[in-house]
Amino acid sequence: MTTAAPLRRRWDWFNGLLRTYAVLLYIFLFTPILVVVIYSFNKGRFLVIWDGFGTNWYGVALENEGIQNALATSLRVAAANAVVAVVLGTMAGIALARRSGKWSRPFLVLVFLILVAPEIVDAISYLIFFVRINLGWSFARLVIGHSIFNSAVVTLIVLARLQGLDESLEEAAADLGASPWRAFRQITLPLMLPAVLAGALLAFTFSLDDVIISSFVSTSGGTTLPVYVFSALRTGMRGDLAAISTVTLAATLVALGVMVFALRRSGESVEGVVGTITGAG
Amino acid sequence: MWYLAFFVVPLIVIVVYSFGYKPPATAASSIGLDRLSFDNYTNTFSDTFNRTFIATIRIAVTGTLLCLLVGFPLAYFLATRTSARWRGVLLGLVIVPFWTSFLLRTFAWRILLAANGPASEALQSIGLLDAPLRVLDTRGAVQLGVLYNYLPLMIFPLFVALDRMDPSLREASKDLGANRIATFIQVTLPLVMPGVVAGLLLVFIPLAGEYVTPAVLGGAKGLMAGGLVASQFLAALNWALGSAMAVVLILLILAVIAVFGAAGLIVRTMVRRNRRVEVATR
Repeated sequence: MTTAAPLRRRWDWFNGLLRTYAVLLYIFLFTPILVVVIYSFNKGRFLVIWDGFGTNWYGVALENEGIQNALATSLRVAAANAVVAVVLGTMAGIALARRSGKWSRPFLVLVFLILVAPEIVDAISYLIFFVRINLGWSFARLVIGHSIFNSAVVTLIVLARLQGLDESLEEAAADLGASPWRAFRQITLPLMLPAVLAGALLAFTFSLDDVIISSFVSTSGGTTLPVYVFSALRTGMRGDLAAISTVTLAATLVALGVMVFALRRSGESVEGVVGTITGAG
Repeated sequence: MWYLAFFVVPLIVIVVYSFGYKPPATAASSIGLDRLSFDNYTNTFSDTFNRTFIATIRIAVTGTLLCLLVGFPLAYFLATRTSARWRGVLLGLVIVPFWTSFLLRTFAWRILLAANGPASEALQSIGLLDAPLRVLDTRGAVQLGVLYNYLPLMIFPLFVALDRMDPSLREASKDLGANRIATFIQVTLPLVMPGVVAGLLLVFIPLAGEYVTPAVLGGAKGLMAGGLVASQFLAALNWALGSAMAVVLILLILAVIAVFGAAGLIVRTMVRRNRRVEVATR
């Protein structure tokens, strides 16, 4: 009977209160998202007035040329930006972790500055810069703008991962006669791959979701989906906006699921997965 | 070098631009720099803009503290009251909203809070409201929107800090006769302080520069400084004034962080001194 006492204590009023609070907070977190998903199936002409179930807004959204173009731009920009960000970020991360010199610290401060500065400040500095160098190509502007921010994120993720790895593994490979390139390819790369993949997905989804940088640097006609939705929202609530947002939400969730699965497979702990996904290192 | 070219140089350019002026519409360039002055700063501190900046700081500070108050219990629950298995699932459920499009999360509230939307109808039907809900396009809506949007960003660092804490420390405190509140204030809180500070910074900085949420939910009444900067750059094409506003915004953010940081340090030293007195008088 003595073992029952601590068990009972864990169920006292305080825990009950915490539990209830958690449930309420989860409801708070998910209600708005569910509302958009549900209302995207609203048959009625006005988005906010429920008028029965129907998928007609999906048809409207997918036929809208503005949405089609914006979605295509978004996907192209997101992919190109992910590649650039991963290449630059991985190189920077490796350099910082393995060949640190007197420039490492100032460089790291710079990386943090980029991430910490309010996005709107990043955005106007890119805009000014692009105008100065006379770069008018919207696609290139978007890719550069997004990839600067994202390569900073990738740098930190790769750096954190490499610092967690034992450098003696690479040394062992070298002792066994592997060339530096071979040691990198067969030892370092497979070990840091989860971090690189996570960084790539993070960069991809950031780009797909970004409003602020995109709306500053893109030119009319070459905008991304969020910028399109954002400017359309200001003129009125439309069902096709909810529909296309639901489609992107579904895509993001699939990507997120894949990433969590990949990270878990590579033996990352729950806390590690959370750290990687939120970019908190 | 990459970052230097793309970030530091533009940042300096912003500061320089903020002393320039708006060229006549006929000019090819979007900024005039041959005549530098503090005019833009004088304009920034004019009455109308001033009010927006004050409102921005108020919304950002309130929003950040609300995030802490609302998020802490959940982070505490996740870190101390869940089994390893449930913890992963429940954390995942915080990550999903965080990864959901910012825009979707924001405009969801436009549906939810609309005068003829679901919340309004429900409240009227149970008699809590006798007229349609009128929250949209006010500062209240912006405040709610930012709380909702930034909450996950607060929960993560809090969770990580609480999770790293050794549970035996709390038990030891209990065994030594401290009640719940004393344990919380004297053991838990000091140990998770780094997480709290990280969360506050992580939420406050982007929130103060916020541009999307007020634009979607705030209408004309809920304008924030980020919106001012954006309208100068994208609509009024007055880059000089926009740059000055951006500089003021950055300085304000740094000032608020400095004030709160100093306040935190003072409180800490006072608490320590009190403790020492307690020990000495015993």
